Amino acid sequence: MLKKAEAILSKIPAVTYADVRIVEQTSEEIATKDGVVEALSSSTSTGFNVRVLKNGVWGFAASHDISDAGIDKTIAKAIEIADASVGYKVEDVTLDDWAPQVGSYKTPIKEDPFAVSLEEKIRSLLEAEKGLRVSPKIVISQAMYSANREKKYFVSTQGSRIEQEIIWTGAGIEASAVDGAEFQNRSYPNSFRGQNQTKGFELFRELKLAENAPRVGQEAVDLLTADTCPTGEFDLILDGNQLALQIHESCGHAVELDRVLGYEASYAGTSFLTPEKLFDFQYGSAIVNLTADATVPGGLGTFGYDDEGTPAQRTFLVKDGKFQDYITSRDTAPKLQKINPRYKNKSNGTVRASSWSRLPMIRMTNINLEPGNPSTGSGQGQFSPAHGKSLEELIADTKYGIFMSTNRSWSIDDKRFNFQFGTEIAWEIKDGKLGRMLKNPTYQGITPEFWNSCDAICGPDEWTVWGTPNCGKGQPSQVMYTGHGAAPARFKKVKIGVVDWKK
Amino acid sequence: MLGEQKLKQIAEKVLKLSTAEETEVLLSVSTNSLTRFANNEIHQNMAWDNLGISVRVVQDKKIGVVGTNALDDASLKETVDQAIALASFQQPDPDFVSLPKPHPIKPVNNEMFIATEDDLAKGVNTVILKAKEAHLIASGAFANDASELAVANSHGVWAYYAGSSSNLSTIVLGKDSSGFAADVARKTSEVDAVHVAETAVRLTQESVDPQDIEPGEYEVILEPQAVSEMLAFFQWYGPNARIYHENSSCLSGKMGQKVFNEKVTLIDDPFHPEVFPMPFDYEGQPKETLTLVENGVLKNIVYDSYYAEKFKTRNTGHGLPAPNTMGPIPLHMYLAPGDKTREEMISSVKRGLLVTRLWYVRVLNPKTLNVTGMTRDGTFLIEDGKIVKPVKNMRFNQSIPEALQNVVNIENKLTRLASFEGEMINLMPTVHISKWQFSSKTLF
Repeated sequence: MLKKAEAILSKIPAVTYADVRIVEQTSEEIATKDGVVEALSSSTSTGFNVRVLKNGVWGFAASHDISDAGIDKTIAKAIEIADASVGYKVEDVTLDDWAPQVGSYKTPIKEDPFAVSLEEKIRSLLEAEKGLRVSPKIVISQAMYSANREKKYFVSTQGSRIEQEIIWTGAGIEASAVDGAEFQNRSYPNSFRGQNQTKGFELFRELKLAENAPRVGQEAVDLLTADTCPTGEFDLILDGNQLALQIHESCGHAVELDRVLGYEASYAGTSFLTPEKLFDFQYGSAIVNLTADATVPGGLGTFGYDDEGTPAQRTFLVKDGKFQDYITSRDTAPKLQKINPRYKNKSNGTVRASSWSRLPMIRMTNINLEPGNPSTGSGQGQFSPAHGKSLEELIADTKYGIFMSTNRSWSIDDKRFNFQFGTEIAWEIKDGKLGRMLKNPTYQGITPEFWNSCDAICGPDEWTVWGTPNCGKGQPSQVMYTGHGAAPARFKKVKIGVVDWKK
Repeated sequence: MLGEQKLKQIAEKVLKLSTAEETEVLLSVSTNSLTRFANNEIHQNMAWDNLGISVRVVQDKKIGVVGTNALDDASLKETVDQAIALASFQQPDPDFVSLPKPHPIKPVNNEMFIATEDDLAKGVNTVILKAKEAHLIASGAFANDASELAVANSHGVWAYYAGSSSNLSTIVLGKDSSGFAADVARKTSEVDAVHVAETAVRLTQESVDPQDIEPGEYEVILEPQAVSEMLAFFQWYGPNARIYHENSSCLSGKMGQKVFNEKVTLIDDPFHPEVFPMPFDYEGQPKETLTLVENGVLKNIVYDSYYAEKFKTRNTGHGLPAPNTMGPIPLHMYLAPGDKTREEMISSVKRGLLVTRLWYVRVLNPKTLNVTGMTRDGTFLIEDGKIVKPVKNMRFNQSIPEALQNVVNIENKLTRLASFEGEMINLMPTVHISKWQFSSKTLF
């Protein structure tokens, strides 16, 4: 296929720059509900695209049709599109200084998920799901599994030549309990399609769904009669699976340079992290270190090269609380350098497209909150002695607070300031001990205030790369799979219990 | 585009290749273009062609589905064989009775219009020029989508439909304000770019220097875009047979009961002259005009073939592509117009907010249908019946059934809306609601 991509590239008439991507995607999905396999499906999609930079503007066309006629038509369309745009150009597109890349990458997996028998997968899911039904109050029990393989071939007129195979797997269980008007959900290991990682079937085995199912089902039932989460300003400990989405929404999207430059203003919005804040802005407290890391094993945003052929990198976005960098592309890094000459003229390698039919654009890779390191935290006075330690020690260090786990709802404004999250479950912490279970927990904040209130992050032993397989962005819409490494962390005096459930 | 005859031949070939008891073929063909602009210039401009086939086979109540995007003979055979293999590993679904039988389908106009890059660029330029004249910054997208959809099954179902839509939306940005506008039509030439540009520019100018306002309970006038954004999740979670019978819908167990204010009538109408018609569902079953809520009373929920068989009732033609784990959904729902003008409604508000749109609406609890979200692109304070000033955006936490019980009046006309954040509601009136819960502020 790499040869095919080169053949397509060779047919493109002389332009400033061109690249060709051929993508083959395969996925398998199993969803069971109440003892029945509701979905058993497999799908494939194959196609290619041509991206040309001509007279300072981009043209892009894509097709499923890889015949000679289809290739000629698609190339001609990409050129026509560039020609139609040139009359409305304000500024020439320029590319960064990355040298051409030649290489290959394959997700390291232990067990090919497509080679495991369907019988085993179905049996394991039904067994896990059955374990959820601990009470007649469980009205819905569900288990889900998916496996995805993406083969990508990239060539460019600058001489890049890259072949990649990305494999990712996901699985989870979910129980819904109803009693009268009361409805409660509990998921494991995470809500909204479970846990997802660039791993093979070993992920499914590691998750031990069946072992966890009775506890998850029981928690859903117990939530029906739990007290409502109190309202007030309290210390908040977020479990890793919720913190992952907090990072995604309030950091990940806010550091997308295309949003910052106004390219997404018409849809997802812009960002409060405007260019003059670069290098100086106190995004979080001094223990907050956020990275964009496409090299971390198992992350959904882990790869060898991005979809512009830039190598995978690990970049500090926030270092010791200070805002350091954006996630960027080959055509936005030069724009930022024009605004701030201290900025480098090189992409951070954070561009992906959701399929062959979509434009590559800036996407989160793995946006991680680095685990706490006790040597950098304690001793500075304002941080907890539990910083860098275990969740148990963090709870023991909390006089009164709320511990929230597993996302139920999320919403954030179009500059990424005001967010509100709800979780499936919470527990009250009193005098260093986990107490009563609480239902309908919610919290709300303003992004920089919230991250500046972070006084402890658990250590590396508690750190997991969570997968967010449903990140939406762009027009036409692109759903991307991203990762978020997180360990539980504590935030001081957060607004909790912000919803009046009767109105 | 392949045309009805060609697609029918492909479907027949697939049905012949299948040895399963029952087989269904879903075929789609599309050609799309989208010209996107930001900072007053075109920055993303693209076109793509695709096609798809999805084969569902049933053997001894065991179901497998396989899809691909190639229609050559080898791919068709591989797809059918793989679907049969999947079904062989499947567990039987005791509630499954049969794929649906053929029923007459109402013919609709199958005209398609495919825009050129220049057509789209011209519309975009109209918006950019208006924004520049006003010293503002425009961004947005002008898209054209043409598609064919066909469904066949081994019981003799054959359904084919083709159509197109053209959709222009913009957000115009000022120093501290913004305005949204959009239009949608079957043909690019019928999209009113001048009106879109003028509306967005006017809203941006009117919302300059927004003032701080305290969160709390307010009367609201929701403009059509905001009403559509409010009702999007009701559409998914409300009158859906799967969720209704799971006892997880806000409507569960309330058939025939008064659920909303008597001014509220909700209709699913895939044949309304102002929407893009959809004569059949993804199982090839005829669609119809269906009243879901009439004068506040729950009259109907929607079914597909599986849930109609399971609950021994009539299939209303709301199936989604298999495998469907979301349940049947009314894709053409609108709120019936009332008898007031927008101005009359505003003039009746003592102190309240005019909300042009909502943003990032998400469900807090699917059963009570409490949602949260933000206001966006222009929110205004109304005092003594007059719009007095723009205000900064706020977050709300609001029960949708509660809001529909608190409807005061509904505008006497419907506005055509472009689908924006995936919502499929294309027609909505402005609505006056007596209580809406704003819970926190943001900084702009």
